[in-house]
Amino acid sequence: MAEYFFELLTEEIPASMLDAALATIHSALEKTIAEIGAAKPAAGIHVTATPRRLIFFLSNLPEKQSDREEIVKGPPKKAAYDAEGKPTKALDGFLKKNNASIDDVLADGDYIQVKRNVTGRAAKDILAERVPQIIEGLRWPKMMRWGAGEHSYIRPIHSVISVFDGAHLPIRIFGVDSGTTTVGHRTLAPQQISVTSYNDYLTKLELGRVIIDAVRRRHVMAERALVLAKQAQGTPSDDATIWAQWQYLTEYPGLVRAEFRDEYLALPEEVLVTVMRVHQKQLPIRNAKGLTNSFIAVLDNEADPDGNAAYGNSFVTNARFADAKFFYDVDRKVPLADRIDQLSHLQFHEKLGNYADKTLRIEQIAIDICATLNCDSTEARKAANLCKTDLVTEMVKEFTELQGKVGGIYAREEGLPENVWQAIYDHYLPANLDDTLPRSVTGAIVSLADKIDTLVGFFKIGAKPTGSKDPFALRRAAQGIVQILLNRDKREVKIGIEQLVDFGIARHGGAPENVKPDLLAFFAERVRTLLETSAYNFAYDEIAAAMEAGWSSLTDLVNRIDALKVMRDETNFLSILDSAKRIANITAGHDSTSVNLGKLENEAERRLNELADAVGDQIQELISGRHYIDALRSFAALAPELEKFFDDVMVNVDDEAVRKNRMSLLRKVGSSVAKIADVTKIVVDRSEYRE
Amino acid sequence: MSRLSFQSLILSLQKFWADRGCMLETPMDLEVGAGTMHPSTFLRVLGPEPWNAGYVQPSRRPADGRYGDNPFRLGKHYQFQVILKPSPLNVQELYLDSLRAIGLDLTRHDIRFEEDNWESPTLGAWGVGWQILLDGMEITQFTYFQQAGGIDLAPISAEITYGLERLTMFLSRQSSVFDIEWGGGFGYGPVRQQDEREFSKYYFEVADIKLHWDLLNAYEKEAKHCLDEKLVLPAYEWTLKCSHMFNTLDARGAVSVTERVAVIKRVRDLAVRCAAQYLESREELGFPLLKQVSNG
Repeated sequence: MAEYFFELLTEEIPASMLDAALATIHSALEKTIAEIGAAKPAAGIHVTATPRRLIFFLSNLPEKQSDREEIVKGPPKKAAYDAEGKPTKALDGFLKKNNASIDDVLADGDYIQVKRNVTGRAAKDILAERVPQIIEGLRWPKMMRWGAGEHSYIRPIHSVISVFDGAHLPIRIFGVDSGTTTVGHRTLAPQQISVTSYNDYLTKLELGRVIIDAVRRRHVMAERALVLAKQAQGTPSDDATIWAQWQYLTEYPGLVRAEFRDEYLALPEEVLVTVMRVHQKQLPIRNAKGLTNSFIAVLDNEADPDGNAAYGNSFVTNARFADAKFFYDVDRKVPLADRIDQLSHLQFHEKLGNYADKTLRIEQIAIDICATLNCDSTEARKAANLCKTDLVTEMVKEFTELQGKVGGIYAREEGLPENVWQAIYDHYLPANLDDTLPRSVTGAIVSLADKIDTLVGFFKIGAKPTGSKDPFALRRAAQGIVQILLNRDKREVKIGIEQLVDFGIARHGGAPENVKPDLLAFFAERVRTLLETSAYNFAYDEIAAAMEAGWSSLTDLVNRIDALKVMRDETNFLSILDSAKRIANITAGHDSTSVNLGKLENEAERRLNELADAVGDQIQELISGRHYIDALRSFAALAPELEKFFDDVMVNVDDEAVRKNRMSLLRKVGSSVAKIADVTKIVVDRSEYRE
Repeated sequence: MSRLSFQSLILSLQKFWADRGCMLETPMDLEVGAGTMHPSTFLRVLGPEPWNAGYVQPSRRPADGRYGDNPFRLGKHYQFQVILKPSPLNVQELYLDSLRAIGLDLTRHDIRFEEDNWESPTLGAWGVGWQILLDGMEITQFTYFQQAGGIDLAPISAEITYGLERLTMFLSRQSSVFDIEWGGGFGYGPVRQQDEREFSKYYFEVADIKLHWDLLNAYEKEAKHCLDEKLVLPAYEWTLKCSHMFNTLDARGAVSVTERVAVIKRVRDLAVRCAAQYLESREELGFPLLKQVSNG
């Protein structure tokens, strides 16, 4: 079994991009190893990175692909022989090319085919070809050029190590020829290091003050963080984002504890934490009482012998907090309510007016929603009225990511009711699929109103997203609405997306005809996407089938899909499906469900009609109670009767009145289940249902 | 480390970069917001001609003024700008050596290159690079120029911009910029605080708004006039003046959101024309610096 190891030495790659790059490299390597012919391609791959190195190690590689037989296809037999049955030029040429004779031609098929023995390629030849393709082919979010400017990559490339079983395997990446040397840590051990194998590399790099493995760097830091926090009688904040960044910020990680001035603890915690986490990439230390004035900072050095890093981090953090405190003091001199005028100077979009206009629309839509929900609108209206005012505070101008939160904090400090300040605080939520939702119904209402206003506005001016371009984050806004309603429309915010769209259009003073259907299609796509995520894990056909029966309530939609998911595994699902399909086929284009009893001619159809009424009522009741599984089972019980009907009764008779009456009867039967889903959209593998 | 002053830092950096083949350029003698706007950077990065230069650039940012009250913020600060074209492959090593040259033992500090890209809408320019953190504090902006005046660049230049006050403040362990020593026993505060105070008041409260709009319009007209006469260097100077008028009006709170976008576009349009015309003019001259280097 052979080994291969690779290092690309570059300049510092943005920490946020490395995980995705490593995942791409990993999956490309799996394919390459499968091509070489390893039994379990994923088992022998180790991919990792430091800020300036991409590294991978492949073990348990076969030396070469196994030899194999291959069938080569040539000209059609018709063209291979002339009228007298003699080989044509086409056949001769083909045989010659494949080093075969006329006796090698296989008997089967309409084409000339011969077998060919293919010698497996050596693993190292395949790697020498694939590795440069994989590395050069990485698509980074923001590429750059350097030097003469002929190559485009994430950062300039310095050297390449490529070693196969202890020997250099020459490759070239963007004009850089590979070798077997690299360098150590930038400042602690910048000397050249020559390596012979991956193990040799790991050992020598560690002496060269580089911990190659990201997971190990993380462990080193996690342990140290606990010790440092303990010294300050606290614990490090639990913060996955910080760890994800820290692991790629250094090659030889150390941590240091630093402090900021006590007086800044009077600032809102959100501000302190944002400055430390987002702007300074520092980890706050907490104790039982909350945030302390100690924090942990990362450094690319194992220790801080002269206290330089502690001094520097305190220095910058104090400077940042001094600014924040200045903003906080200035901001609180002007109550939020007095800032609404200023919003008229803040443009939302040139074609959609300023933020005062937007505020007015959000308020109106919030009132519309409250009217529909039959709830008091005082608090929602107040929150909507103030929700954008923090955009003209100094704090949000400096720390834009705190929009909403700052308004909420200031509103709280002004003594506004909890429901109001929380609604302001939460109204940008959810910002992504994993984000939390607004805490209260009031918050949900303001968030919905804000988002639907944005969506209708941009669709109205023709700025809907195309392809990967979504400059106004409309997909996120629509997805946010879907997330909120999926959670709440059962009880508290009983409103459908179509209704929201109508409110939005009305408050935008109308919109071109295409806006509503376009928006609904846009939302339908978001609903589908969301329901396919791991949180729900529904299959595409289940979602499509249930949405066909309507999706004005998303929680109801989820209940119906749940039922389909259960039912599709039951053996009687095939009878539901077959019944529905047969009804759909035979009644295509016919909509009525009203049956004329006088025209029911024979026993089977009268019997079916009675059952349809009885079972129909029962199903209807089950549906009203959202007991969809039972409803589907009741429908399944109709199947034998339906079968009998199809055996005994001819639907497509000449007498139009009779024919239509029969179609209406079938429609009536089908209509009960059509309220749950269009089950004909479910794709089944019949073999799975055999007993 | 001996007590470090503002000017000893400048002297060390100048010597360091001069020793590595940089021409020591003098500051642009007009108001600019950053060393990038100096023709030595903005124009020299265009086209195939090599260029290595270093210079101090007083940088005026009217909106950043704090009346001399804030220990960290200044309406005018000083940058040391290095431009290396094409960017050498060892440019980061050179940079680290420059820190060693100013007396830092890097094994006892934390140095990190963290992603920070640069974009100037008024110059139609952008680049990719890092902020360089010394013990957690940003001391340098490092940019690989990708585009200037809307023109894709090749070769690529590396731009290194040292924040001189911050670096001095940090290295001499002062907690206020006004407490650092400029040189010869003169303090930065006594030398500069008055102009921070007066210019803050001027830019924020006093500057004649109508005059500045009129000047902006007149400067723009003259820039176009120069461009029409194929005088790109004068045109670029008028463009810089437009930019400063805009910055002044902006600090004065006299530019609405819509106007803002429009004025930035006006300045960018000038910068884009200057860039294109400069490239043409150099080509007409046969790219003289290209020959000079191959002869030299």
